[in-house]
Amino acid sequence: MADVKLTGVHKYYGNVHAVRGLDLTISDGEFAVLVGPSGCGKSTLLRTIAGLEDPDDGTIAIGGAIVNDLRPRERNIAMVFQNYALYPYLTVNENIAFGLRARKTPEIEIRKRVSEAAEMLGIGNLLQRYPRQLSGGQRQRVAIGRAIVRKADLFLFDEPLSNLDAQLRDEMRTEIKRLHHEITTTMIYVTHDQVEAMTLADRIVLLRDGKIEQQGAPLELFERPRTGFVAGFLGSPSINLIPATLTAMNGGLSVVFGSGESLTVPPAKATALSSVAGREVIVGIRPQHFGRAGDGPLRDGVVPYSAVADLIQPTGTRTFTTIKIGGVDAVAELQAHDVQSHGERIQLAIDLNRMVLIDPATGSVIA
Amino acid sequence: MTFSLSFNGTEHRRPSRLGRVLEDRLPYLIVAPAILVLLLVGLFPLIYSLIVSFQRITMTDNDTSFAGLLNYAELFRDTRLWASLGHTAIITAIALPLELLIGFLMAQLFIDRMPGRQLFVALLVLPTVISPIVAGATWRLLFDVRFGPIGEILSFFAGEPIRILWTVNPAYVYPAIIICEVWQWSPFMFLLLLAALSNVDQSQLEAAEIDGASYLRVLRAIILPAIAPVIAVACLIRGLDLVRIFDIIWALTEGGPGSMTETISLYTYVQGFSQFETSYTAAISFLVIALLTLITTLVLKRMEIAR
Amino acid sequence: MRLMKLPTRKGRVLVLRYIGAGVVTLLFLFPVYWLFMISFKTPDEIYHVPPLWMPGQIQFSNYYVLFKDGDVMAILNSLIVAGVSSAIAIILGTLCAYSLARFGTGGENLAMWIISQRMIPPIAVVFPIFLIYVYFGLVDGYFGLIVLYTAFNLPYVIWMMRGYIVDVPLELEESALVDGLNRWQVIWKVVFPMVRPGLMATSVFTFVFAWNDFLFALVLTRTEVITFPVMLTHYFGGQSNFWAKIAAMSVLGTLPIFVAVTVMQRYLVRGISLGAVKG
Repeated sequence: MADVKLTGVHKYYGNVHAVRGLDLTISDGEFAVLVGPSGCGKSTLLRTIAGLEDPDDGTIAIGGAIVNDLRPRERNIAMVFQNYALYPYLTVNENIAFGLRARKTPEIEIRKRVSEAAEMLGIGNLLQRYPRQLSGGQRQRVAIGRAIVRKADLFLFDEPLSNLDAQLRDEMRTEIKRLHHEITTTMIYVTHDQVEAMTLADRIVLLRDGKIEQQGAPLELFERPRTGFVAGFLGSPSINLIPATLTAMNGGLSVVFGSGESLTVPPAKATALSSVAGREVIVGIRPQHFGRAGDGPLRDGVVPYSAVADLIQPTGTRTFTTIKIGGVDAVAELQAHDVQSHGERIQLAIDLNRMVLIDPATGSVIA
Repeated sequence: MTFSLSFNGTEHRRPSRLGRVLEDRLPYLIVAPAILVLLLVGLFPLIYSLIVSFQRITMTDNDTSFAGLLNYAELFRDTRLWASLGHTAIITAIALPLELLIGFLMAQLFIDRMPGRQLFVALLVLPTVISPIVAGATWRLLFDVRFGPIGEILSFFAGEPIRILWTVNPAYVYPAIIICEVWQWSPFMFLLLLAALSNVDQSQLEAAEIDGASYLRVLRAIILPAIAPVIAVACLIRGLDLVRIFDIIWALTEGGPGSMTETISLYTYVQGFSQFETSYTAAISFLVIALLTLITTLVLKRMEIAR
Repeated sequence: MRLMKLPTRKGRVLVLRYIGAGVVTLLFLFPVYWLFMISFKTPDEIYHVPPLWMPGQIQFSNYYVLFKDGDVMAILNSLIVAGVSSAIAIILGTLCAYSLARFGTGGENLAMWIISQRMIPPIAVVFPIFLIYVYFGLVDGYFGLIVLYTAFNLPYVIWMMRGYIVDVPLELEESALVDGLNRWQVIWKVVFPMVRPGLMATSVFTFVFAWNDFLFALVLTRTEVITFPVMLTHYFGGQSNFWAKIAAMSVLGTLPIFVAVTVMQRYLVRGISLGAVKG
């Protein structure tokens, strides 16, 4: 059990400044997910915590002790790698016991822990096999088993699911979440997949260009992104971003699009924005915040909008529909049967209470 | 030993200072012994040889005074030296293409799967791995004018008795050497080319087949370009080996008749170990190294240009 | 129609290929066959005109003579010298290769220098080495030959093993580092098992090179540590060749290699081709 505290960590690869003065605290027992586009420094950061890379500056503390000078094996961590890193010349049993043998754990203890872990992961019947005789999902379980038996202070996962097919990935994701509930060790998990990040994390740390863009609980980042980048990175399909001008209109504020169309900003948001009227903004509306307009009156801040359905992509439960807002393509996520055919005119309701307005110059969210 | 130094059973104790140093310096520690041996046996004699080549040491006279370029100037007046280089060039120029061609044909024969292919390949490798001295001795027995089977076989096909003094008759010594050399090393080419051919992109070949391209066209347009790098490397390896050819000739003709098949390696050996022209031998050695370096560099340059 | 014809055409081609394969194999193995047959012949059969294609009966007196005269010591010498030098070259070379492959020690220059060591023709260094060995009294001893063969095999081992080690996934080593091994243990417990096939192939070739060497052994041995190729040349001499001894000694000197090559066969093709293709 341990917390992790990074202070002012820098890492260079030649001329590339991969991690740029990063501070991060992960508390004991927390499941933190480092997420970001490729090249954002998330893997480097994880490897630095593991001790596989040395930071060029800054300190790394695990469980209150600074570990900069400690070797990976001295940090009492366990790590699961992208390609499983199973030893092909060892059986599953020997693979799982590898770390314990390396630490000269008594043989009785090894046997006990291996069978516990195997049972927890449902691979008890595979112990005598070799990795090449296993499926991808089974290999991943063995790799996780090898980490569990170590009873380490800290678990590190480096994109462990990216080599699995979609269905297995969902399954293993659930497995890992359950694992964390059972053993409650601090876990740091690297992924580029925002769905994995959202579903697994107690806390998401969103990285960009070697710095933390924003961190917090998944829904906090989703609902209150601090920058356009965060808004765009999380959520599927991506948030719709439409350029517009904030304009004072009819005693309130509206966003006016290039096409001349306009939407009224809800009064709750408008008061905070009155000082910046006349500015260029980017309006961010999530596909989930569209709906088919019903017969009854609309709630405050929900505005009607009439659009023509262009592309229609049913997924079974929901149907993604491409429409034009302010002359720009946007995706609306509707109920399965809300829209029938290409070219159909549909009456939509947009929940503007949850829209974000982004400053195009700085990329940060104004409201 | 080092394991116990740098490793403790408990999880949080640090290893000893010595263990840490051993681990930190590991990249250099494990390079050092090999480099040391190479310097000692590879570089040191070369430097020593370079010094000797500028002195006047012969069998009778241990004169270590500075001779300038005397020995190197002597190289240009030494007709037997240039003759031996010529012999080396002849053998290389004939044997290398032959080995390549035969190796390629063999590879073509075995490229498609057939039951028992592994066995054939295993058997065909044998000539390549036996000692060149044994190869030479074997062919000496085969070529023997009275008790060897070659003459018998040739007589059978010719329909009249054929008696050839293969290792003595000036007209046949080169064929004898080259036959033996080609017998031993074609299988080497075969193995390399077989591996290269089986790496040729199958989909390209299939596409060509569907397009109705002739075999020669496929060979020129697809196969040869694909295996060209391997051919180049194989020729380089074999070429360098042929230039230093020694064992087979020693076993077959010992350079004879006279000095007719004396290659540069044999000549150097004679100068060093029969004539004991110490300083002059050193100079010859550097001529050989210079020539080989030149050839290698040229070949590698051409390969890079081709790429 | 086409479906009916296809198998027969393929079948015919296959038969032709088997015939071709048989002829080629026969051609290349005939000299080996002849060598073995002579070693089993009596002197009368060896010096028979016309030559006999087969001995009347398999008899081992030619080998017996080699043992009686003590000539087999040459085989033993070869075994010791080639075996020990290969073992040392493999250990030193693999460690060096690991450092080059994983840490890029010495950069490209060191790697190139090591490979260039292999290009140096033996004839160019044998003479100065001889002089140095005479000076240090190393001629005609095991130690001198072993050091020499080790040095001459090292570039090959390093070159080959570097190729194999580069193919070992880095994650395996990192995982072991996290799990509790130090670098030395990682080499021993992860890298060695991973490159075992390559190690086998390389060992065989290293052994064969040392075993087959003639020039160095010719120059650096006198009476004590004569290796089998040198012993073989002692039997040559104009028309009075000791054919029986030549054949029997050749077979004895070839058998260990045939055995090694046959046992390791599945590793060798990769060993030969990889070395050249990657070069």
